[in-house]
Amino acid sequence: MANSIVALRAYRDGLHLIIRPHLSIAEVEEAIQQEMSRMNQTLVGASVQIDLKCPLLEEEEMTYLKSKLQETYNLTVRSIETFDEQAPSPIAAAPTTHEIAQTANTQNGRDSEPSRIIPYTIRSGQAEGFPQGSLIIYGDVNSGAEVRAGGDIVVLGALRGNAHAGLNGRLSAVIIAMDLVPVQLQIGNFINRRAINQKPRGYPEIARLGVEDVIIVEKFVKF
Amino acid sequence: MGKIIVVTSGKGGVGKTTSTANLGTALALLGKTVVVVDADVGLRNLDIVMGLESRIVYTSMDVIEKQCELSKALVKDRRVDGLTLLAASQKNNKDDMQPEEMKAICEKLGETHDYVLVDSPAGIERGFSNASAGADEAIVVTTPDVSAIRDADRIIGLLQHAGIEPINLILNRFSPQLVGSGSMMDQDDVLDILNIDLLGIVPEDPGVITSTNRGIPLVYEDASPGSQAYMRIARRVTGQRIPIPELEQRGFLSNIVNWFTRNR
Ligand SMILES: Nc1ncnc2c1ncn2[C@@H]1O[C@H](COP(=O)(O)OP(=O)(O)OP(=O)(O)O)[C@@H](O)[C@H]1O
Ligand SMILES: [Mg+2]
Repeated sequence: MANSIVALRAYRDGLHLIIRPHLSIAEVEEAIQQEMSRMNQTLVGASVQIDLKCPLLEEEEMTYLKSKLQETYNLTVRSIETFDEQAPSPIAAAPTTHEIAQTANTQNGRDSEPSRIIPYTIRSGQAEGFPQGSLIIYGDVNSGAEVRAGGDIVVLGALRGNAHAGLNGRLSAVIIAMDLVPVQLQIGNFINRRAINQKPRGYPEIARLGVEDVIIVEKFVKF
Repeated sequence: MGKIIVVTSGKGGVGKTTSTANLGTALALLGKTVVVVDADVGLRNLDIVMGLESRIVYTSMDVIEKQCELSKALVKDRRVDGLTLLAASQKNNKDDMQPEEMKAICEKLGETHDYVLVDSPAGIERGFSNASAGADEAIVVTTPDVSAIRDADRIIGLLQHAGIEPINLILNRFSPQLVGSGSMMDQDDVLDILNIDLLGIVPEDPGVITSTNRGIPLVYEDASPGSQAYMRIARRVTGQRIPIPELEQRGFLSNIVNWFTRNR
């Protein structure tokens, strides 16, 4: 699914744009475009670190790429790191679910981020969103309803509709519900491929992005 | 000042017209003055279910167009005292009417009747806004299937947004046997999703179809389970506290199944 030259990944310290060995700057550009369209351009305003897996880019090519990212995708490059080809690739070290869980409450801006509380049930045809942070719903999200958040989504009731967490590409975002029986879940740009529960399990569950960008669902105990 | 109640659903064919006709007749049998209003302009059939189609001279559209007085457009049901019908025009369509016009009619009817029951068309468009424009309260009708329930949920959201309160639920075409065999949602599941008060459960009853065809609402036949359900619903509408016996009528088997699933 990811293209072989460019990959966009969320790590503990934020988004990384990984650039692997390639032939030309044009090829890199095209790969970035592909990767961005896969992300549906929901990353507007984010900042990225560029991980150069190859020292092939010239100084002026780098400058060109930075301005291109800024202009076309509204992405700010916060730093550039060059990796030795032999070093373990950042992709291999992509966060496992475990790592995300451990860092979840301390990193990724969860504690500095605003959250919005919705004190009612969201019914079919209604939608609520909060791109600036996390959403907490004191009620249900019914089938045909939709919730979207830049951060996490916590439903203190049944989630029966659609939920999209990590709107801005924060892949560490999670979705928690007392009854997790959604129509569709989305984290960052990844949609659940397998159907989630048909029936409530009788305990709260958490959905998050696991290895291979698959949304996994587990019993929720605590952060 | 009487109560103006819109009977609505979102999804079509779930029993709005059947419920309006039977609830209206039942309320009249309890001694109330009732007018049932067909708001399904262009696709009217409340008159057929009530057996009054041959006596319609004027419709709500004639009243709006000042062709006749409101009182003259009401068709009296001769079988019971205090029950009348205001028919919808069959040759117009829903956009020919404004919500304010419907509201004015309902409010005027409310001055002279205990209950104004408005039979809403399916959908969430103009027909629905017309039907609910004058309503103080709403009855949402649904059948126990996921698509009807999702549409009911949509309608409840719209009614809440319009400030219509209370909103009560009629669960129609309910079959305890199917629930028992696990192939139909039970009332708890439905109420869990919709989260509004239950006014009553009407069972699947073949008598509904024969009564529709004959133009005699079911509630005139005391024995039918559907008739009894609508009579109980009418009593609840008038404020009587009547338990919902359907809850106990669930099959023995389903109770056991529930017991097991609940305690798992
Ligand atoms: N409890 C019931 N048992 C059996 N049949 C029923 C029951 N309730 C309704 N029906 C049948 O379902 C059909 C639709 O009913 P009805 O016309 O009342 O629905 P409606 O919601 O008014 O439809 P529309 O959206 O077209 O106005 C009719 O044929 C009716 O006889
Ligand atoms: Mg109808």
